[in-house]
Amino acid sequence: MQKFFSNRRLVLICVLLILCFGLMAGSVALRNKKSTPTLVQQFGNDIVGFTNNVVSYPINGIKSGLDSVSELMNSYSENKILKKQVSGLAQVKVRDQTLADENAQLKKELKLQKSLTDYSTVTAAVISRTPSSWQSQIIISKGQTDGIRKNMPVLSQSGLIGRISEVNKTNSKVELLSDSNDSSNRFAIQIKTSSGDVVNGIVTGYKKSTGQLIMGQVTSDADIKKNDKVVTSGMGGVTPKGLYVGKVAKVGKDDYGLAKKIYITPAADYNDISVVSVAEID
Amino acid sequence: MYRLSRMRFIFPIGLLLCFFLDGSVSSVFSDFLFSYPYSTVSHLVVLWMVLGVIQEGRNERVIPFTFFAVVIGIIFDSYYAGILGLFVFLFPIIIWVTRMLTKNFAANFLNSIMIFFIDIALLELLNYVAYSIVGVISVSFSDFVLHTLAPTLALNLVYFVILYLPISAIYDKYARLRS
Repeated sequence: MQKFFSNRRLVLICVLLILCFGLMAGSVALRNKKSTPTLVQQFGNDIVGFTNNVVSYPINGIKSGLDSVSELMNSYSENKILKKQVSGLAQVKVRDQTLADENAQLKKELKLQKSLTDYSTVTAAVISRTPSSWQSQIIISKGQTDGIRKNMPVLSQSGLIGRISEVNKTNSKVELLSDSNDSSNRFAIQIKTSSGDVVNGIVTGYKKSTGQLIMGQVTSDADIKKNDKVVTSGMGGVTPKGLYVGKVAKVGKDDYGLAKKIYITPAADYNDISVVSVAEID
Repeated sequence: MYRLSRMRFIFPIGLLLCFFLDGSVSSVFSDFLFSYPYSTVSHLVVLWMVLGVIQEGRNERVIPFTFFAVVIGIIFDSYYAGILGLFVFLFPIIIWVTRMLTKNFAANFLNSIMIFFIDIALLELLNYVAYSIVGVISVSFSDFVLHTLAPTLALNLVYFVILYLPISAIYDKYARLRS
């Protein structure tokens, strides 16, 4: 007995190792199960997040200053192209407005209160990003007090970027679609083909080398072509319908040659995000 | 000793500043740091602590590095990672390894950069192994070395070369007793 305890350092190391892996496994399990972290952790994260705002404010200021300088460089050529688009956009906007009104009216007549396409958004600024190669996680400046809950989808200006993975009182973490965590990018999506068919499925993976999302196990015979648009399908009830995900880049076969595997180029750039909006089903 | 030195305030403030800068650098330069398929990790916190420990060899033991390593580890786990229990152990291990190495080498620039190289490589390796065991990630070892370890070492050695003199000067100036 005495001999065993004489090697105290070994015992200590064993205890610490068990503690380390126990804590990690425990917190991973807890994160998947509970909607918010423990109160102590939440409180700590709120304080740290508040301090982080103070540090990140000047840095983000410098960044936006540099960005505007570089944008100034190519503003002339961009302006030319944009002018053409703007003239067409007004028409589309008016038409969109008319259709939305009509849609609301028809829904009213059908006594259809809420459908999958009705959602409101909460806009938040990006405070920080996890400095880790394994977790593509950003920290945003809104939390529970602004109505954000776990698993809500998060959008940038151009499309879907991820989902809320942890909610504190005044800040929350967003797991980007490029995260290597298996559960982070399981969104129910659908492809609208040019012939009018709709193919349903889920995002099953992310190909890091090309930055493409993978939609696996597609058995539909529909003729999916390159550049077909991919949107969320609203199935599952957490994500609203019609959030833009990206375009089809390539249609391949899976490892056994039975089902199709579709590669999707995401619409949003996961590495250039400063403002996000969190979508919430009404 | 430590109570009397101004380092009592400067060290924690620098540590927190480095901690937040890590996140801000990752966020602002994410286009550059996380360009596919590479992912580069900024470790300013480690740089700040390791340079302190190396300087400590010259001066007297004034700063409780292990204590601060544990504290910043807890904050890192909770705020950045959301997975508790990794960096709270990794940062003290880094402090311990650096102490072991500084005992056996003279604290000049070349030896310091070598020690820092070992620290970063060890940190990333242990991080990879731990996350693989827990099942957070499933990345092959060759991918890890090529796409994570190599760019991370490159970035942090650049940090080291640029920041070695300024940070060493801070420690040299303030870590001594106030006269």
